[in-house]
Amino acid sequence: MNQALALNGLSVAFGGFKAIKNVSLSVASGELRVLLGANGAGKTTLMDLISGKIRSTDGSVRVFGHDITNWPEHRIARAGIGRKFQIPSVFRDLTVEQNIQVACCNKHPSVFANLRFGVSAEQRRRIAEILDLTGLVAVARKTAAFLSHGQTQWLELGMLMAQDPKVILLDEPTAGMTHAETSKTADIINRLKGRHTLLVVEHDMGFVREIAQHITVLHLGEVLAEGSVAEIETDARVRAAYLGSKGIS
Amino acid sequence: MALERKIQLAAYGLFIAALFLAPAFGDEFWLNRIAKYLVYGMLGVAIALTWGYAGILNLGQGLFFGMGAYMLAMSLKLSSPTSLAQGSDTPVPDFMLWNAEPGAPTDLCCINKGSVLWLPFQHQWFGLAMGIVLPVVIAGVLGAIIFRKRISGVFVSIITLALVLLVRLVLVDAQPITNGFNGLTDLGWLTIGGIEFDPYSRATYYLCAASLSLTLIAARLLADTRASLILQAIRDDQLRARYLGFDVPVYQTFFFVVSAAIAGYAGMLYVVVTEFASPTFMDLSFSVTMVVWAAVGGRSSLLGACIGAILINMIEAQVSETEALVEAWKAIIGLIFVLVVLFMPRGLGGLAHSLVARFQRDEQPSVSATAGAARSETA
Repeated sequence: MNQALALNGLSVAFGGFKAIKNVSLSVASGELRVLLGANGAGKTTLMDLISGKIRSTDGSVRVFGHDITNWPEHRIARAGIGRKFQIPSVFRDLTVEQNIQVACCNKHPSVFANLRFGVSAEQRRRIAEILDLTGLVAVARKTAAFLSHGQTQWLELGMLMAQDPKVILLDEPTAGMTHAETSKTADIINRLKGRHTLLVVEHDMGFVREIAQHITVLHLGEVLAEGSVAEIETDARVRAAYLGSKGIS
Repeated sequence: MALERKIQLAAYGLFIAALFLAPAFGDEFWLNRIAKYLVYGMLGVAIALTWGYAGILNLGQGLFFGMGAYMLAMSLKLSSPTSLAQGSDTPVPDFMLWNAEPGAPTDLCCINKGSVLWLPFQHQWFGLAMGIVLPVVIAGVLGAIIFRKRISGVFVSIITLALVLLVRLVLVDAQPITNGFNGLTDLGWLTIGGIEFDPYSRATYYLCAASLSLTLIAARLLADTRASLILQAIRDDQLRARYLGFDVPVYQTFFFVVSAAIAGYAGMLYVVVTEFASPTFMDLSFSVTMVVWAAVGGRSSLLGACIGAILINMIEAQVSETEALVEAWKAIIGLIFVLVVLFMPRGLGGLAHSLVARFQRDEQPSVSATAGAARSETA
């Protein structure tokens, strides 16, 4: 099987405290993997390590065989990793359309390649398509700062679509969403499946069932278990460490 | 959107037309003064580019302005008649002779330890070229260091502020080659292709008007590029831009350098118009004043910041020369600043923008329903 993302013995320590201990993980191309774990298990830290926000002290990260361990963020992004933050992060003073346009420019990211006007017809078509997929057509000309929380999350997902990375890291894409918003988000994410490889941190088990194929459970910085939704739900160690005796509710 | 674009184009067109029509309404003395304000207008554009578009508040823009000014002033000093009449075959600045040690040869090569630096400035083109090259190189190095280190916000302002004061100190201290506090005075005229730019001539005014127009158009075009859009994205959220694959420091440095080049160019023009270069160009108050012009004009609007700079200086001159207000004029200018910051936080440019938006809403009732809804949500 073609490995899209491979972590090998990844570790990081903050002043003696080992936040991530020897994590090895392999995600196949086109797979959607959910990362599960209690608060402080190291889920977001793991994403920070993969995307270059923090530097690992040991181990390696590979994307389609290329070693990208501890590269600067923008080079990791160019190597094919896109990320959505837990707190939605968009360009607040630009319009929705401009936000997606900026993300579209990443194929030629240098200053001098961008000293030109407007967007190609191809890009224009793509932007329209993304606006449609994320349901943001009506607010395309609106400044991003004025979007609702849910819309901001979708805009960031739209920016990821425009960026078109091979591997997408999603950190709690449904945090703070209403039920209706959550199911729309599940739609969007299911559309990304197959074309992209996804690694998703999520707490909402209903949502996880809607999107997940495989789950990896982290506990105190280590991989505790890995398997299908059904396997994880019945795993005794997972129950003890995270889900509680009542199982997945 | 299209209407807004048309109004913007018209505003630029009107402004540039006004620049070239102004000589019909005043004498040479008045034109010289307006030319000086046009140079300030260029500084307004430079500030708006970094502050408004990149979110970088440079409190030391005077550094680049001063560099441009001194580079050209050195060349013009050597072409001044007094420099040629110091009893040697080659020009020597008069102040170097006043301070020369007894028996020192009257020649730039060795009249004092640093005078050799002046040698290439005997060619006017060298001074002209250095007026742009020096600010660009310094801004490039400075920007690369600051932005690679991910320094942002108020810390950039503090660094640039400290740097301009440091350079000013060195400039004053290097008295043998810079004439210290006194600066460079008694300069020759800039001569390009047989045209002599007498400061009190229409030629000099047109030079400034053309330079400002070109700067405005070039800056406007630059602001319309995708690179500028990405720069604004970086201003809003650096981290997000990094994760999209953009090399953030390169973008910031590029625009910082363009701004420095404009300031250097403005510095050179200032020397042509006023016939002196002085360490006061690197005073803290001057650099802060530039920021105030841009704030009043609207920092996110290139034309607004430019008009802000010109307007404030015109008002200042008018008020300070009115006899009844001689004592009070500084208070009046200060009051204008306070009122603008309180009631028009986006400056004149922002005001124009809102007016256009309101006008657009009234014009197109079919669109106004959705636009109005959007606006009330945002309010």
